[in-house]
Amino acid sequence: MDVLFDIPILGFIFQFLAYLVDAIFTTNLPAQTLQLATPIVLGALCGVLNERSGIVNIGIEGMMLTAAFVGFMAAVVVSDAMPAAEAGIFGFTPALVVGVLAAIGAGMLVSLLHAWLSISVRADQIISGTVINIIALGLTGYLNRLIQPSGSAGTLDPIRPPAALLDLPVLGPVIQMFFTSGPITTSVIIFVIVLQILLFRSRWGLRTRAVGEHPRAADTVGINVIRVRYRNVILGGVFAGLAGAWLTLEFNASFQNGMTANRGFIALAAVIFGRWTPVGAFGGALLFMVWEALGIAIRSDPPPGDLGVFLSGIQATYPSLYNNFFGALPYLLTLIVLAGVVGRSIPPASVGRPYVKEGAT
Amino acid sequence: MHKRSLGLSLVGSLAIIVGACGTAATPTPSSSQAASQPAASASAPAASGSDAAPSASTSAMKPIKVGVVTDVGQLEDKSFNQSSNEGAKAAATESGGSHEVIVTKAISDYAANIQTLIDADFDVIVTVGFLIGTDTAKAAKANPDVKFVGVDQGVCVDEAGAPDGTFACKGDAATLLPNYQGIVFAEAQPGYLAGIVAGSISKSGTIGAVGGTNVPAVVNYWRGYENGAKSIKSDIKVLYQETDPDPSKGFNDQSKGKTIANQFLSQGADVIFQIAGLTGQGALEAVCAKDGAYGIGVDVDQAVSLPTLSKCIVTSAEKKLVDTVKAVVLSVASDTFKAGTVPYNAASDPQAIGLSAYHDNAALITPEIQAKLDAALAALKDGSLDPCAPIKCTVAGS
Repeated sequence: MDVLFDIPILGFIFQFLAYLVDAIFTTNLPAQTLQLATPIVLGALCGVLNERSGIVNIGIEGMMLTAAFVGFMAAVVVSDAMPAAEAGIFGFTPALVVGVLAAIGAGMLVSLLHAWLSISVRADQIISGTVINIIALGLTGYLNRLIQPSGSAGTLDPIRPPAALLDLPVLGPVIQMFFTSGPITTSVIIFVIVLQILLFRSRWGLRTRAVGEHPRAADTVGINVIRVRYRNVILGGVFAGLAGAWLTLEFNASFQNGMTANRGFIALAAVIFGRWTPVGAFGGALLFMVWEALGIAIRSDPPPGDLGVFLSGIQATYPSLYNNFFGALPYLLTLIVLAGVVGRSIPPASVGRPYVKEGAT
Repeated sequence: MHKRSLGLSLVGSLAIIVGACGTAATPTPSSSQAASQPAASASAPAASGSDAAPSASTSAMKPIKVGVVTDVGQLEDKSFNQSSNEGAKAAATESGGSHEVIVTKAISDYAANIQTLIDADFDVIVTVGFLIGTDTAKAAKANPDVKFVGVDQGVCVDEAGAPDGTFACKGDAATLLPNYQGIVFAEAQPGYLAGIVAGSISKSGTIGAVGGTNVPAVVNYWRGYENGAKSIKSDIKVLYQETDPDPSKGFNDQSKGKTIANQFLSQGADVIFQIAGLTGQGALEAVCAKDGAYGIGVDVDQAVSLPTLSKCIVTSAEKKLVDTVKAVVLSVASDTFKAGTVPYNAASDPQAIGLSAYHDNAALITPEIQAKLDAALAALKDGSLDPCAPIKCTVAGS
């Protein structure tokens, strides 16, 4: 190994790879990555469902934020009413159950608004999404000020597998990644697989894609375009709602104004990156966030050898440049991967175009 | 197409109404917005305290009308904006006057918000945060009969009394702007005390600090903390990370704060000092989820402001924002107002910095640790202890 590390320049790459392997197998990097990626994957699933049926949804951010707020408030109200309730599986107290359901409900309601504006009213879908983002930010901030919730409903418990499982070779990091976080994080992988299969192997999936690609053709074979689109947009709201619940009921235990911090927009990037497939979007979200998690790890625990010395040197000499670089890294790599690997991604043909039945104007 | 425009205008106008609740020029309790930048702002150079007004003891107070313009973020940040506002409100009440607050939505609204209060004939205008300092100085120059109090603002002006972007600070702020006091806290001092606590209770020999954005206030806290910890154990490892160079993210991303703290914990840190406003709340949550790890809060007593986390908060490194702002505003009512940049530290009266009560974790602070803290505080008071040594209070340190 040392021989490889000593090669000029190239040695840096080997040192980095050694660090990466070490980080994956000995630290909590895999779990950190999946946790950071969870709201983005859920938001992206919302985006995939919408866009596959022909509806552009840039309001994911607002849907997540509304759901986070409503879910948190509902949970606090219930936990105030029954403070001594016992926690069930995954730490689900009645308050948290109500909170998660309320978050999902809020996500569906906001989606319904988006669906109504984009499908029935045939408004510009970009504007509808923007309006949702603006209203969500203003309204949740205003109500948060008005209500000033004190206290919290707690959070869902992470799963704690036996330590022996985590020490398994090869499988250990995988188990750590998927089974040491809360239930919403853990369920993400299931949603991704199920949606991927349904979208490409079921009648519903075929109809969804048909409506997104060529609604007129779908209509002529008897598919109710309007109904399929409504259903998909509202189903998307379920996932945006879950992302909101993750923010205030699983990973954090409080609501803050604007706490989505642009995750809804990164989710959109993951949708495009993943070419409008659930699995692709999942991969995209993981790719963005592994760099975020690695950036955090490298800055607090630099790699060994010359690379570490080199990085620490830059950190000491140009601290703000160094931190900005790591902040920009996920996006830089996204650009590179988008341009070099993914290439041209083609959206569903009818995305963004409201459907008007022939003769009915 | 009628249907379409109806729906859009309906939703559009709702957006405007909601938005309007938080617009710049409404001096009523207004809605808050996304970006937040609480814990930190900077102390600019040249701390030129002036002796303009003799401290004539408690003369008769006149009722004053106090207005507050917060920094970008939310009023309920359980920290910076909230405490400054509470201090101003308490002072207004005590003088028998009235109080109003405007929450700033965007940096570009600073000047307009200040002007709104000037137009409404407020006697004292408190502006919160380093970034609003330039607009405050401009307003102070244009309105000599209104008093301005800037929290975390070093007053830096050129010879003409205009804000000095180069920070040469040639002009004497106290004489050129006799109606403007900049309150600057010595954050390194409470940071140092927090470091003594962390260094003493850490069993692993590794401690951490999560910073929001590397503005001077955050860096002062961090370096003071590092020096304090190293004064107890010279070989202690102090991990530090800036959350984001953009303050609207750095101080407002709880999830990322938690991720960074988890990283520190996985590297063996068992005490984490949060210097990141709302981001830091996530860091404290991460600490609470781990047995045997403790957190230290910032700016205000966070064991009180975050009751659900009080079991793992040992103490908080405080700037006594409420007391200090209240005292300064009241100095207007009693005609003892001081102009220029006024430093507030351990030696100020009332004492402007310190550690909060230990609450649930009082058992951790043994008499020996308390003795070290008392000695350090005394040395900070008489100036014999420099919290910015040996590591300097700059990002680069050393």
